[in-house]
Amino acid sequence: MAAIDEVNVYFSSYPDFVHQKLQIASETFTIAGLKSLINFPQTMYMVRDPLLSAAINRLELLDIFTGLGQAIALDTNTIISEISDGMLIAVHDATGKVISIYPVPQPNSRSISLPTMENNVGGSNSAFNEDLNSNLVLLRSHLNDNDLRIKTYSFGNDKKNTVMLCFSEQTIDPTLLDTLTQKLEANLNTEISNLKELSSVFQFSKFSLVTHYMTHELPQNAVRAIKNGRAVLFIERLPFAIILPSLVSDMFITEDDLNHPPVFSWMLKILRIIGSLTTLIFPGLYVALVSVNPDVLRFELAHSIARSRLDVPYPAIIEALLLLGIMELIMEAIIRLPTSIGPTVTMVGGIVLGQAVVDAKLVSNLLIIVLAAATIANATVVGFQNSYTLRLSKYLLLILSAFLGVLGLLSGLVILCAYLAGVRTLGIPYLQLIRAKGD
Amino acid sequence: MTMLSGCWDNKDINHRALPIAMGISYQNGKYKIYLDIPKVSERNAGIQVITATGDSVSSAVDNISMNMESQLDLLHLKVIIVDKTFAHRGLDEIVDSIIRSRHVSPKTMFVICDEPLDQFFKRINNPSNGDGNEIYDFFQKNSGWNPEIAYTPVWKVFRSIHSYTHDVVLPVIQSGETTAIQSNGSGILKNGKMVGRLSNEQTLLYNVFNGISLDGKIEVTGKATLQLVNSHIRHQTKLDNKNPEMYCTLHLNVIILDATGHPSTKEIKLELQTLLQRRLEQLLQKVQRTQADIFGIGQHFRNDLTRTELANWRTEYYPHVKINLKVITTIRNTGNLKLP
Repeated sequence: MAAIDEVNVYFSSYPDFVHQKLQIASETFTIAGLKSLINFPQTMYMVRDPLLSAAINRLELLDIFTGLGQAIALDTNTIISEISDGMLIAVHDATGKVISIYPVPQPNSRSISLPTMENNVGGSNSAFNEDLNSNLVLLRSHLNDNDLRIKTYSFGNDKKNTVMLCFSEQTIDPTLLDTLTQKLEANLNTEISNLKELSSVFQFSKFSLVTHYMTHELPQNAVRAIKNGRAVLFIERLPFAIILPSLVSDMFITEDDLNHPPVFSWMLKILRIIGSLTTLIFPGLYVALVSVNPDVLRFELAHSIARSRLDVPYPAIIEALLLLGIMELIMEAIIRLPTSIGPTVTMVGGIVLGQAVVDAKLVSNLLIIVLAAATIANATVVGFQNSYTLRLSKYLLLILSAFLGVLGLLSGLVILCAYLAGVRTLGIPYLQLIRAKGD
Repeated sequence: MTMLSGCWDNKDINHRALPIAMGISYQNGKYKIYLDIPKVSERNAGIQVITATGDSVSSAVDNISMNMESQLDLLHLKVIIVDKTFAHRGLDEIVDSIIRSRHVSPKTMFVICDEPLDQFFKRINNPSNGDGNEIYDFFQKNSGWNPEIAYTPVWKVFRSIHSYTHDVVLPVIQSGETTAIQSNGSGILKNGKMVGRLSNEQTLLYNVFNGISLDGKIEVTGKATLQLVNSHIRHQTKLDNKNPEMYCTLHLNVIILDATGHPSTKEIKLELQTLLQRRLEQLLQKVQRTQADIFGIGQHFRNDLTRTELANWRTEYYPHVKINLKVITTIRNTGNLKLP
């Protein structure tokens, strides 16, 4: 039993390694596993119970033993890798037969709970979590469909991770499926544990301003994507579904809209479109109207803006960049802050700082309004990746407006539209609203 | 440096002076400019009148700009006021220069002032009048404008100067006794020169005839006072051997405000028809004498005349124009009272 001894040596420094003998009738079995991954008392009971009853009923113990799990080769590396995967290894000392048993695992995930990043009104509320299996349970219970296909890939040589690909045979675009599986299968040796590594497998541009995939915590959104012919990926330990490809409509439409009456669901979609335009245009429009084209304003408004900007030392663009910068800092800080002091800091940042900045005549009152509107509107779009896109592209419009005024704002929008029109994900255009016929 | 290439000369709105009214008078070969600039300050304190003289309008404006602490931006100019003597002399040069310069919006109102501009600007900016924007509000359709006041932007004046068949009227104002501004009817402008006057009532009729839907009041002598709610007009034309004739149908929707002596609706309608016909007749005779086609009647005959004939429209055809006005009145509402 040299192999077993080598395994013992390999794991000797591990505090959670369990290695014990099990005597049933006249036979001796050796059982080994990691107790951090295996619930030992229950597993031992599970293993011993059939063997004992077999011994009492005078059945052939070895047959029962092999039926407990999967036979594997008596090889050090195989056994080590099985143990690392959380399997229980049982060896029949007399014959040297090795069985890998699927044990009662230690709970290593939170239970299915409310989503943390994605809020919804009127839809189902259980969210994906870190465990692939419970994600699969959620997906299957939302989509009981014979066409649902699930492929599992094991990535990485040293650092292993499992990736699960789900799609519907009926609706998925065959070319999308081909490129997807090809790229996944060609890169089985690379390690995938985060979205950046996944992006590099799919060769997405590193400088893309638009997200190529949506991540959803709520199973109904993943199911909608599958029904619409898209692919859903799960990476082990990432608590969301990755939906490929992402389209412009994902910014404005969520599955939960369908739980509202149609009029309101349209209203919500229109609100999101208005929100995205507001967050893009407002800061730029402010700069354009205040410093380049004040002639567009009504006289009364121009006069009142001019009054609100009395004594403001900086030109409008510097003023806007200053406050936008602070706003971005606040938004980033809120994520990092513990929830217990988050609200306090938000209040200090939002109200006290804003008021102080105005009182100190560093910026005009109107800019605070514009900025608040733009920041709030930024949150109306669906998916935080999409709000990043808007957050960044508003600076393009802002700077162009500072140069060219309203004309610059317009040309910025044109540039943005042209860019979006050029983005493709795995061969599918970002602006695709309706799938082309023949797909 | 490339970052600065676009915006180095942009000035923020609080560094621009935004005049709302410009007065132009012409004395001894020099233009004198008055600019009415609302003060930009914490307390919103009134208005500033700045004057300068120069050989041309633009050089006078340049003079002001040079001496002011902020950049002069004429794009918000809403009213251009010229004095009566200047209007009699002819406005074609300044209208040309305004259109050419592009610093002033073509939608700016053109106004004639009945009194010297010095006095006018001094009196309308009396602090007891209000915040100093009266001259602006007076001509705003959503605040002080009334259908008895002509409404003529610069581009229409420019068009009238260069057109054979279309003239304009400009509102005539002066500073009022109890109000800041008082309307004195309007002045008929022919090729940029003021050639006659209309009263306030005639201006209302002019506005109705030009199809501006409005809510003016008409007094039917001795019978009733009517409020116009809605009006539209349709024209048909006939050219009969140098005698242009025009058939107009005016549809009026009115509300009765006052009635004296219990008139029937039929009487009111008949009275209104004769009244309007008589007034239009008077008005037409008056403008025909000045040979200024303020109704743009010639526009309707452009199909029938050659270009050379059109050139003589004002002198040969226009004095012979006849208008047959038919008024169709709908009394929409008798003011909650039943009439016999």
